[in-house]
Amino acid sequence: MSSAQNACKQTEILKRIQLSVSAELRIAEDGTAWMLVLERDLSDCLVLAKREGFDHCSAISVTDWPDENVFEFTYHLWSYGKRILLTVSCRIDRRKATVASVIPLWGPSAGIHERELHELFGVEFTGNPDLEPLFLEAWDGPAPFRKDFDWRMYVRETFYEEGDAREQGYWD
Amino acid sequence: MRVSRATGTEIGEPDHRASHAFDLYFGPVHAGSGNFGVKLKIEGERVVGARSDPGYLHRGFEKLMEYRTPMQNAILSDRLCILESLNWNLVHAEAVDRLCGTEIPERAQYIRVILAELSRIQSHIIWYGVLSKALGFDTGFKVAFGYRDYVLDVFEFITGGRVYPAGYLCPGGVRHDIPEGTKKRIEDLLATMETMLREFAGYDSRTITARCRGVGVLELDDALRLGATGPVLRACGMAADVRRDAPYEVYDDLDFEIPTCEEGDAFARSIIRRREIEESMNIIRQALGRLPAEPLPPVLPKIADKMPEGEVYVRNEISRGEAAIYMRSTGESRPYRCKIRGPDLLHMIPVLEHLLVGAELADVPAIYWSLNVCPADMDR
Repeated sequence: MSSAQNACKQTEILKRIQLSVSAELRIAEDGTAWMLVLERDLSDCLVLAKREGFDHCSAISVTDWPDENVFEFTYHLWSYGKRILLTVSCRIDRRKATVASVIPLWGPSAGIHERELHELFGVEFTGNPDLEPLFLEAWDGPAPFRKDFDWRMYVRETFYEEGDAREQGYWD
Repeated sequence: MRVSRATGTEIGEPDHRASHAFDLYFGPVHAGSGNFGVKLKIEGERVVGARSDPGYLHRGFEKLMEYRTPMQNAILSDRLCILESLNWNLVHAEAVDRLCGTEIPERAQYIRVILAELSRIQSHIIWYGVLSKALGFDTGFKVAFGYRDYVLDVFEFITGGRVYPAGYLCPGGVRHDIPEGTKKRIEDLLATMETMLREFAGYDSRTITARCRGVGVLELDDALRLGATGPVLRACGMAADVRRDAPYEVYDDLDFEIPTCEEGDAFARSIIRRREIEESMNIIRQALGRLPAEPLPPVLPKIADKMPEGEVYVRNEISRGEAAIYMRSTGESRPYRCKIRGPDLLHMIPVLEHLLVGAELADVPAIYWSLNVCPADMDR
């Protein structure tokens, strides 16, 4: 199949997903596809993507937008057969950041990304049975990758002493 | 009553009063690879439960990168995986380049490919060494680490650093052009690598075969469900490789094979990696032959420009599998979000736990090291 035919077929697949869930679709210059969906359409969109051949959940990510009170979830999906990279994004209210787990679609490979995001961003994935912390030991502070958690302030206040002359530099 | 996944027989609840049932902590310090532990439940000689315990190397790179400019992050990206820092350099540099729409000179693209492939070779050599060590085959360990030093000599000659190249593959190309005489040194190195591969092949019929054949078999369906990529997936019979499926840099101009095996066991994973070393050597020879002659100006560190607003998801094939960076910019000089996806989060948690349950205790090291684990890129 020529690359032009292939690109045409790729666009058809993406259009099919886009039309059935009324998403915004953008094809970037590097050929990757980006889709922005509403919260109510997220599950349908991901189910459709799996059905259309996106068999590899490469990563799931969260971007924190505290000023807009939004968590943006991004699902980076790859189709081994059709060789398309699709990112599905969805903006979720930051105060009740809960989405359905995609373990039924992509299995444990998606579950592990959700487990990581639960720990680092404090977001919930309903239906994921294993959200035990991965990296931090006995951590009871706020979710550390949120934008409103200031690492530098935390480190200074927790590990340095203002009265210690050798550590003065950290307090100037 | 529970059923063993390996044998299909009932295994019952572990009775911890009985002398044959116990918990074993495998790790967290391993010779040759980073810190990582697995909590094993053992009955007799059989593993009946496995739970990965990561976090020993969590440094919070994703958050650290939000505080730094791309040139600073290029240096930071070395540390994502100690065993293949140049490959991670490249993923980061590409993410910034694509976000900024930077055109990279062709010569710099070829240099990037040559260094990425050399880095893949030395990473596979480390894997051969630590697998040999784990199997009690100390000769393999010493021979491998001896040969790896020849590659490090070339890294030092080109980048100035043996293990950490200090962001040599940086946004905008490479920090400086390769020094005079590089081509000859790389050609000599490849000849040495040929000798090494012959030496490795000579050991096959003994320790490695005996300890790895039929051990830790991963079915293709399970590999996909558990998120395996790279050599682990290719050893199950699937020819998936980002270099060919979604080419970056100049990979689509180069001619190379994607080695696969059908067996999916620890031995298949070891054979795949050796054949990948051969393919990488083939790629390097082609790249050296096509390297454009026009010299490159150095990319100087400077006060960072603002990056245009936007988002990219860049994938590369590193020696362990699929590596990717999702970078989001709001138009500042620092990235707003930098999500790092390494292959080992998947290989060391879902895949490893799956392979260990039902295995013999004595096979645990062979399974563990056949996955070529790197805790640094898992914990980040």
